[in-house]
Amino acid sequence: MFELGTFIVSIISFLIVFWIISKVGFKPLANVMEQRRVYVTSQLEDAEKNRHEAERLLEEQRKLLEQTRQEAKNILDAARQRADEQARQMLKEAQEEAARILAEGRELIERERAEAMNQAMQRMTELSVQLTSKLLHSYANEQVHAEMIKEAEQKLGELVC
Amino acid sequence: MPAFPTLFRHTFPINLTTIAMIFLTGLIVIIVMRVGLRRLDMRNPRGLQNMLEWAAEFAANMARDTMPTEQAVRFILPLAFTMLFFLFVANWLGLIAIVAVHIHHPIQHWGITPQDFAQSKGIVELFDSPTANMSMTLGLAVMVWLLAHARGLRHPKQWLIHFYKPSPLAIIEEITNPLTHGMRLYGNIFAGEALLNVLVSAPRLFGWVPLTLPLTIVWLLYSAFVSTIQAYVFSILMCLYVGNKSFEGHQHH
Repeated sequence: MFELGTFIVSIISFLIVFWIISKVGFKPLANVMEQRRVYVTSQLEDAEKNRHEAERLLEEQRKLLEQTRQEAKNILDAARQRADEQARQMLKEAQEEAARILAEGRELIERERAEAMNQAMQRMTELSVQLTSKLLHSYANEQVHAEMIKEAEQKLGELVC
Repeated sequence: MPAFPTLFRHTFPINLTTIAMIFLTGLIVIIVMRVGLRRLDMRNPRGLQNMLEWAAEFAANMARDTMPTEQAVRFILPLAFTMLFFLFVANWLGLIAIVAVHIHHPIQHWGITPQDFAQSKGIVELFDSPTANMSMTLGLAVMVWLLAHARGLRHPKQWLIHFYKPSPLAIIEEITNPLTHGMRLYGNIFAGEALLNVLVSAPRLFGWVPLTLPLTIVWLLYSAFVSTIQAYVFSILMCLYVGNKSFEGHQHH
Protein backbone atom coordinates (compact mmCIF):
# COMPACT_ATOMS: atom_id res chain seq x y z
CA MET A 1 0.00 0.00 0.00
CA PHE A 2 1.44 3.37 -0.95
CA GLU A 3 1.70 5.71 2.01
CA LEU A 4 2.68 9.29 1.35
CA GLY A 5 4.01 9.80 4.87
CA THR A 6 6.29 6.77 4.71
CA PHE A 7 7.40 7.83 1.24
CA ILE A 8 8.49 11.31 2.27
CA VAL A 9 9.88 10.41 5.66
CA SER A 10 11.84 7.53 4.09
CA ILE A 11 13.54 9.93 1.74
CA ILE A 12 14.40 12.27 4.59
CA SER A 13 15.58 9.41 6.80
CA PHE A 14 17.70 7.96 4.06
CA LEU A 15 19.25 11.34 3.36
CA ILE A 16 20.11 11.74 7.04
CA VAL A 17 21.61 8.25 7.14
CA PHE A 18 23.48 8.91 3.92
CA TRP A 19 24.84 12.17 5.24
CA ILE A 20 26.12 10.51 8.41
CA ILE A 21 27.58 7.52 6.58
CA SER A 22 29.40 9.64 4.05
CA LYS A 23 30.64 11.91 6.82
CA VAL A 24 31.93 9.37 9.32
CA GLY A 25 32.36 6.32 7.13
CA PHE A 26 33.03 6.97 3.51
CA LYS A 27 35.11 10.09 3.75
CA PRO A 28 37.93 8.60 5.87
CA LEU A 29 37.91 5.49 3.72
CA ALA A 30 38.10 7.48 0.50
CA ASN A 31 40.80 9.67 2.04
CA VAL A 32 42.94 6.68 2.89
CA MET A 33 42.46 5.21 -0.56
CA GLU A 34 43.30 8.50 -2.21
CA GLN A 35 46.29 8.90 0.08
CA ARG A 36 47.51 5.45 -0.89
CA ARG A 37 46.97 6.16 -4.56
CA VAL A 38 49.00 9.36 -4.29
CA TYR A 39 51.66 7.57 -2.26
CA VAL A 40 51.95 4.70 -4.73
CA THR A 41 52.07 7.09 -7.65
CA SER A 42 54.78 9.17 -6.02
CA GLN A 43 56.72 6.06 -5.10
CA LEU A 44 56.52 4.84 -8.66
CA GLU A 45 57.69 8.19 -9.92
CA ASP A 46 60.52 8.18 -7.42
CA ALA A 47 61.54 4.71 -8.45
CA GLU A 48 61.50 5.74 -12.08
CA LYS A 49 63.57 8.82 -11.31
CA ASN A 50 66.04 6.80 -9.24
CA ARG A 51 66.39 4.28 -11.99
CA HIS A 52 67.17 7.01 -14.49
CA GLU A 53 69.67 8.53 -12.06
CA ALA A 54 71.32 5.16 -11.53
CA GLU A 55 71.52 4.59 -15.25
CA ARG A 56 73.05 7.99 -15.73
CA LEU A 57 75.61 7.38 -12.98
CA LEU A 58 76.46 3.98 -14.37
CA GLU A 59 76.99 5.45 -17.79
CA GLU A 60 79.18 8.15 -16.28
CA GLN A 61 81.20 5.58 -14.36
CA ARG A 62 81.63 3.49 -17.43
CA LYS A 63 82.79 6.47 -19.40
CA LEU A 64 85.18 7.44 -16.65
CA LEU A 65 86.57 3.92 -16.45
CA GLU A 66 87.06 3.81 -20.19
CA GLN A 67 88.81 7.14 -20.07
CA THR A 68 91.06 6.01 -17.24
CA ARG A 69 91.90 2.81 -19.04
CA GLN A 70 92.79 4.78 -22.13
CA GLU A 71 94.97 7.09 -20.10
CA ALA A 72 96.75 4.21 -18.42
CA LYS A 73 97.34 2.64 -21.78
CA ASN A 74 98.75 5.90 -23.08
CA ILE A 75 101.07 6.26 -20.12
CA LEU A 76 102.23 2.68 -20.46
CA ASP A 77 102.83 3.11 -24.15
CA ALA A 78 104.83 6.24 -23.59
CA ALA A 79 106.91 4.58 -20.89
CA ARG A 80 107.57 1.59 -23.09
CA GLN A 81 108.59 3.81 -25.93
CA ARG A 82 110.88 5.78 -23.71
CA ALA A 83 112.44 2.62 -22.36
CA ASP A 84 112.94 1.32 -25.86
CA GLU A 85 114.56 4.54 -26.85
CA GLN A 86 116.79 4.48 -23.83
CA ALA A 87 117.82 0.91 -24.47
CA ARG A 88 118.59 1.71 -28.05
CA GLN A 89 120.58 4.70 -26.97
CA MET A 90 122.54 2.68 -24.46
CA LEU A 91 123.25 0.00 -27.00
CA LYS A 92 124.40 2.55 -29.44
CA GLU A 93 126.65 4.16 -26.88
CA ALA A 94 128.07 0.84 -25.86
CA GLN A 95 128.76 -0.05 -29.47
CA GLU A 96 130.43 3.27 -29.99
CA GLU A 97 132.48 2.80 -26.89
CA ALA A 98 133.53 -0.63 -27.98
CA ALA A 99 134.43 0.61 -31.42
CA ARG A 100 136.40 3.40 -29.88
CA ILE A 101 138.29 1.06 -27.56
CA LEU A 102 138.96 -1.28 -30.44
CA ALA A 103 140.21 1.53 -32.59
CA GLU A 104 142.41 2.73 -29.79
CA GLY A 105 143.90 -0.74 -29.29
CA ARG A 106 144.44 -1.13 -32.93
CA GLU A 107 146.16 2.22 -33.08
CA LEU A 108 148.35 1.31 -30.13
CA ILE A 109 149.41 -1.92 -31.74
CA GLU A 110 150.11 -0.15 -34.96
CA ARG A 111 152.16 2.41 -33.17
CA GLU A 112 154.13 -0.15 -31.19
CA ARG A 113 154.76 -2.17 -34.28
CA ALA A 114 155.95 0.89 -36.06
CA GLU A 115 158.16 1.69 -33.12
CA ALA A 116 159.58 -1.80 -32.99
CA MET A 117 160.15 -1.66 -36.74
CA ASN A 118 161.92 1.64 -36.31
CA GLN A 119 164.10 0.24 -33.58
CA ALA A 120 164.89 -2.80 -35.67
CA MET A 121 165.71 -0.64 -38.64
CA GLN A 122 167.90 1.56 -36.48
CA ARG A 123 169.66 -1.47 -35.05
CA MET A 124 170.19 -2.89 -38.46
CA THR A 125 171.62 0.39 -39.66
CA GLU A 126 173.93 0.48 -36.71
CA LEU A 127 175.00 -3.04 -37.29
CA SER A 128 175.59 -2.47 -40.99
CA VAL A 129 177.51 0.65 -40.12
CA GLN A 130 179.60 -1.35 -37.62
CA LEU A 131 179.97 -4.16 -40.06
CA THR A 132 180.98 -1.82 -42.82
CA SER A 133 183.42 0.03 -40.65
CA LYS A 134 184.79 -3.23 -39.44
CA LEU A 135 185.05 -4.50 -42.94
CA LEU A 136 186.67 -1.33 -44.12
CA HIS A 137 188.94 -1.16 -41.12
CA SER A 138 190.58 -4.50 -41.37
CA TYR A 139 190.45 -5.22 -45.10
CA ALA A 140 193.95 -6.75 -45.69
CA ASN A 141 195.89 -9.85 -46.40
CA GLU A 142 195.63 -13.52 -45.98
CA GLN A 143 196.89 -13.40 -42.51
CA VAL A 144 194.41 -10.95 -41.34
CA HIS A 145 191.77 -12.93 -43.06
CA ALA A 146 192.74 -16.02 -41.26
CA GLU A 147 192.82 -14.21 -37.98
CA MET A 148 189.37 -12.95 -38.63
CA ILE A 149 188.04 -16.36 -39.39
CA LYS A 150 189.69 -17.67 -36.31
CA GLU A 151 188.18 -14.90 -34.31
CA ALA A 152 184.84 -15.58 -35.90
CA GLU A 153 185.14 -19.26 -35.20
CA GLN A 154 186.15 -18.45 -31.63
CA LYS A 155 183.20 -16.15 -31.31
CA LEU A 156 180.96 -18.74 -32.84
CA GLY A 157 182.32 -21.30 -30.47
CA GLU A 158 181.69 -18.96 -27.65
CA LEU A 159 178.23 -18.39 -29.01
CA VAL A 160 177.65 -22.14 -29.31
CA CYS A 161 179.03 -23.04 -25.93
CA MET B 1 -0.89 -8.76 5.24
CA PRO B 2 0.64 -8.00 8.61
CA ALA B 3 -0.06 -4.62 10.11
CA PHE B 4 2.57 -2.04 11.03
CA PRO B 5 2.66 0.55 13.78
CA THR B 6 1.72 3.71 11.94
CA LEU B 7 1.78 7.38 12.79
CA PHE B 8 -0.99 9.73 11.56
CA ARG B 9 -2.93 6.78 10.25
CA HIS B 10 -5.65 8.78 8.52
CA THR B 11 -3.92 11.93 7.32
CA PHE B 12 -0.23 11.36 6.67
CA PRO B 13 0.52 7.69 7.38
CA ILE B 14 4.11 7.03 8.40
CA ASN B 15 5.15 3.41 8.78
CA LEU B 16 7.22 3.51 11.96
CA THR B 17 8.73 0.06 11.46
CA THR B 18 10.14 1.06 8.08
CA ILE B 19 11.53 4.35 9.34
CA ALA B 20 13.04 2.69 12.39
CA MET B 21 14.56 0.00 10.19
CA ILE B 22 16.09 2.62 7.93
CA PHE B 23 17.85 4.12 10.91
CA LEU B 24 18.79 0.69 12.25
CA THR B 25 20.26 -0.26 8.88
CA GLY B 26 22.14 3.01 8.82
CA LEU B 27 23.39 2.35 12.33
CA ILE B 28 24.62 -1.11 11.36
CA VAL B 29 26.40 0.30 8.32
CA ILE B 30 28.02 3.02 10.39
CA ILE B 31 29.10 0.58 13.10
CA VAL B 32 30.57 -1.82 10.56
CA MET B 33 32.40 1.03 8.88
CA ARG B 34 33.69 2.48 12.12
CA VAL B 35 34.92 -0.95 13.23
CA GLY B 36 36.54 -1.44 9.85
CA LEU B 37 38.14 1.97 9.91
CA ARG B 38 39.16 1.76 13.56
CA ARG B 39 42.81 1.28 12.75
CA LEU B 40 43.15 2.93 9.39
CA ASP B 41 46.36 1.87 7.78
CA MET B 42 47.47 3.19 4.44
CA ARG B 43 50.29 0.73 3.95
CA ASN B 44 48.84 -2.64 4.89
CA PRO B 45 45.05 -2.68 5.26
CA ARG B 46 43.74 -5.60 7.26
CA GLY B 47 40.54 -7.58 7.53
CA LEU B 48 37.47 -5.42 7.48
CA GLN B 49 39.30 -2.45 6.06
CA ASN B 50 40.19 -4.59 3.08
CA MET B 51 36.55 -5.56 2.66
CA LEU B 52 35.43 -1.95 2.84
CA GLU B 53 38.07 -0.87 0.37
CA TRP B 54 37.02 -3.64 -1.93
CA ALA B 55 33.42 -2.42 -1.68
CA ALA B 56 34.47 1.17 -2.34
CA GLU B 57 36.54 0.03 -5.31
CA PHE B 58 33.56 -1.96 -6.56
CA ALA B 59 31.29 1.08 -6.24
CA ALA B 60 33.89 3.22 -8.01
CA ASN B 61 34.11 0.77 -10.90
CA MET B 62 30.33 0.67 -11.09
CA ALA B 63 30.22 4.47 -11.25
CA ARG B 64 33.01 4.65 -13.83
CA ASP B 65 31.17 2.23 -16.10
CA THR B 66 28.08 4.41 -16.17
CA MET B 67 29.30 7.96 -15.72
CA PRO B 68 30.51 10.16 -18.58
CA THR B 69 33.22 12.05 -16.68
CA GLU B 70 35.51 11.53 -13.72
CA GLN B 71 33.93 14.57 -12.10
CA ALA B 72 30.52 12.92 -12.21
CA VAL B 73 32.05 9.75 -10.79
CA ARG B 74 33.41 11.70 -7.84
CA PHE B 75 29.98 13.27 -7.39
CA ILE B 76 28.07 9.99 -7.29
CA LEU B 77 30.68 7.81 -5.58
CA PRO B 78 29.70 8.43 -1.92
CA LEU B 79 26.03 7.88 -2.75
CA ALA B 80 26.77 4.78 -4.83
CA PHE B 81 28.85 3.26 -2.07
CA THR B 82 26.31 4.13 0.61
CA MET B 83 23.42 2.84 -1.49
CA LEU B 84 25.19 -0.43 -2.21
CA PHE B 85 26.13 -1.05 1.39
CA PHE B 86 22.86 0.24 2.81
CA LEU B 87 20.65 -1.83 0.51
CA PHE B 88 22.79 -4.91 1.03
CA VAL B 89 22.31 -4.69 4.78
CA ALA B 90 18.66 -3.65 4.44
CA ASN B 91 17.78 -6.56 2.14
CA TRP B 92 19.50 -9.06 4.38
CA LEU B 93 17.88 -7.85 7.59
CA GLY B 94 14.50 -9.27 6.60
CA LEU B 95 16.09 -12.62 5.81
CA ILE B 96 17.92 -12.85 9.10
CA ALA B 97 14.86 -12.16 11.19
CA ILE B 98 11.34 -10.86 11.06
CA VAL B 99 9.96 -9.93 14.44
CA ALA B 100 6.20 -9.68 14.82
CA VAL B 101 3.95 -9.43 17.82
CA HIS B 102 0.50 -10.85 18.08
CA ILE B 103 -2.08 -8.48 19.49
CA HIS B 104 -5.54 -9.37 20.62
CA HIS B 105 -7.33 -6.13 19.95
CA PRO B 106 -6.70 -3.07 17.81
CA ILE B 107 -4.39 -0.50 19.39
CA GLN B 108 -5.30 3.00 18.32
CA HIS B 109 -2.00 4.53 19.57
CA TRP B 110 -0.08 2.34 17.13
CA GLY B 111 -2.37 3.42 14.38
CA ILE B 112 -3.86 -0.04 14.00
CA THR B 113 -7.50 0.31 13.11
CA PRO B 114 -10.04 -2.48 13.49
CA GLN B 115 -9.90 -3.07 9.72
CA ASP B 116 -6.12 -3.51 9.89
CA PHE B 117 -6.57 -5.77 12.88
CA ALA B 118 -9.05 -7.93 11.04
CA GLN B 119 -6.92 -8.06 7.91
CA SER B 120 -3.68 -8.93 9.70
CA LYS B 121 -5.26 -11.32 12.24
CA GLY B 122 -3.54 -9.36 14.96
CA ILE B 123 0.02 -9.74 13.63
CA VAL B 124 2.08 -6.55 13.93
CA GLU B 125 5.60 -6.54 12.45
CA LEU B 126 8.26 -4.67 14.37
CA PHE B 127 11.42 -5.83 12.61
CA ASP B 128 11.55 -6.20 8.85
CA SER B 129 13.51 -5.18 5.79
CA PRO B 130 12.96 -1.50 5.18
CA THR B 131 13.11 -2.32 1.48
CA ALA B 132 10.12 -4.65 1.77
CA ASN B 133 7.99 -1.52 1.84
CA MET B 134 6.70 -0.08 -1.41
CA SER B 135 6.64 3.52 -0.22
CA MET B 136 10.22 3.35 0.97
CA THR B 137 11.67 1.90 -2.25
CA LEU B 138 9.64 4.30 -4.36
CA GLY B 139 10.94 7.06 -2.15
CA LEU B 140 14.53 6.02 -2.91
CA ALA B 141 13.73 5.75 -6.61
CA VAL B 142 12.12 9.18 -6.70
CA MET B 143 15.04 10.60 -4.77
CA VAL B 144 17.38 9.23 -7.44
CA TRP B 145 15.09 10.62 -10.13
CA LEU B 146 15.17 14.05 -8.52
CA LEU B 147 18.93 13.87 -8.15
CA ALA B 148 19.32 12.94 -11.81
CA HIS B 149 17.18 15.86 -12.94
CA ALA B 150 18.90 18.25 -10.57
CA ARG B 151 22.18 17.24 -12.15
CA GLY B 152 20.67 17.45 -15.62
CA LEU B 153 19.52 21.01 -14.94
CA ARG B 154 23.11 22.13 -14.70
CA HIS B 155 22.94 22.16 -18.47
CA PRO B 156 19.37 23.41 -19.03
CA LYS B 157 19.56 23.42 -22.84
CA GLN B 158 20.61 19.83 -23.12
CA TRP B 159 18.24 18.89 -20.35
CA LEU B 160 15.35 20.29 -22.41
CA ILE B 161 16.59 18.71 -25.61
CA HIS B 162 16.97 15.25 -24.12
CA PHE B 163 13.20 14.95 -23.58
CA TYR B 164 12.44 14.84 -27.30
CA LYS B 165 15.82 14.34 -28.96
CA PRO B 166 15.79 10.61 -29.71
CA SER B 167 11.98 10.58 -29.60
CA PRO B 168 9.29 12.21 -27.46
CA LEU B 169 8.64 8.78 -25.99
CA ALA B 170 11.55 9.55 -23.67
CA ILE B 171 9.03 11.38 -21.51
CA ILE B 172 7.35 8.07 -20.76
CA GLU B 173 10.66 6.83 -19.42
CA GLU B 174 10.68 9.67 -16.94
CA ILE B 175 7.68 8.02 -15.31
CA THR B 176 8.47 4.36 -15.86
CA ASN B 177 12.11 4.57 -14.82
CA PRO B 178 11.57 5.60 -11.20
CA LEU B 179 8.50 3.40 -10.96
CA THR B 180 10.25 0.23 -12.11
CA HIS B 181 13.39 1.24 -10.26
CA GLY B 182 11.54 1.30 -6.95
CA MET B 183 9.06 -1.48 -7.59
CA ARG B 184 11.72 -3.94 -8.72
CA LEU B 185 13.52 -3.69 -5.41
CA TYR B 186 10.32 -3.78 -3.39
CA GLY B 187 8.92 -6.71 -5.34
CA ASN B 188 12.00 -8.87 -5.03
CA ILE B 189 12.49 -8.31 -1.34
CA PHE B 190 8.83 -8.42 -0.41
CA ALA B 191 8.22 -11.60 -2.41
CA GLY B 192 11.19 -13.27 -0.81
CA GLU B 193 10.04 -12.44 2.69
CA ALA B 194 6.38 -13.21 2.03
CA LEU B 195 7.12 -16.69 0.72
CA LEU B 196 9.56 -17.27 3.54
CA ASN B 197 6.81 -16.29 5.96
CA VAL B 198 4.43 -18.75 4.40
CA LEU B 199 7.01 -21.53 4.40
CA VAL B 200 7.97 -20.97 8.02
CA SER B 201 4.38 -20.86 9.19
CA ALA B 202 3.71 -24.31 7.78
CA PRO B 203 2.71 -27.07 10.25
CA ARG B 204 5.58 -27.99 12.58
CA LEU B 205 7.10 -31.36 13.20
CA PHE B 206 7.60 -32.04 16.92
CA GLY B 207 6.25 -28.61 17.48
CA TRP B 208 9.20 -26.62 16.14
CA VAL B 209 10.64 -27.99 12.88
CA PRO B 210 8.55 -26.80 9.93
CA LEU B 211 7.68 -29.58 7.51
CA THR B 212 8.88 -27.39 4.68
CA LEU B 213 12.43 -27.08 6.07
CA PRO B 214 14.30 -28.13 2.85
CA LEU B 215 12.21 -25.78 0.76
CA THR B 216 12.71 -23.05 3.30
CA ILE B 217 16.47 -23.43 3.17
CA VAL B 218 16.51 -23.42 -0.63
CA TRP B 219 14.30 -20.35 -0.72
CA LEU B 220 16.38 -18.64 1.95
CA LEU B 221 19.55 -19.14 -0.10
CA TYR B 222 17.80 -17.94 -3.22
CA SER B 223 16.45 -14.89 -1.41
CA ALA B 224 19.90 -14.12 -0.08
CA PHE B 225 21.21 -14.25 -3.62
CA VAL B 226 18.37 -12.06 -4.86
CA SER B 227 18.88 -9.58 -2.02
CA THR B 228 22.53 -9.17 -2.91
CA ILE B 229 21.81 -8.87 -6.61
CA GLN B 230 19.02 -6.36 -6.05
CA ALA B 231 21.28 -4.12 -3.96
CA TYR B 232 23.71 -4.12 -6.88
CA VAL B 233 20.99 -3.62 -9.49
CA PHE B 234 19.44 -0.70 -7.65
CA SER B 235 22.82 0.97 -7.19
CA ILE B 236 23.97 0.52 -10.77
CA LEU B 237 20.64 1.73 -12.12
CA MET B 238 20.98 4.78 -9.92
CA CYS B 239 24.43 5.44 -11.41
CA LEU B 240 23.04 4.86 -14.87
CA TYR B 241 20.11 7.24 -14.46
CA VAL B 242 22.24 9.98 -12.95
CA GLY B 243 24.92 9.33 -15.57
CA ASN B 244 22.39 9.64 -18.38
CA LYS B 245 21.42 13.06 -17.16
CA SER B 246 25.01 14.24 -16.59
CA PHE B 247 25.36 16.14 -19.82
CA GLU B 248 28.85 17.53 -19.34
CA GLY B 249 30.37 14.51 -21.07
CA HIS B 250 27.90 14.56 -23.94
CA GLN B 251 28.87 18.01 -25.14
CA HIS B 252 31.77 16.69 -27.15
CA HIS B 253 29.61 14.36 -29.22
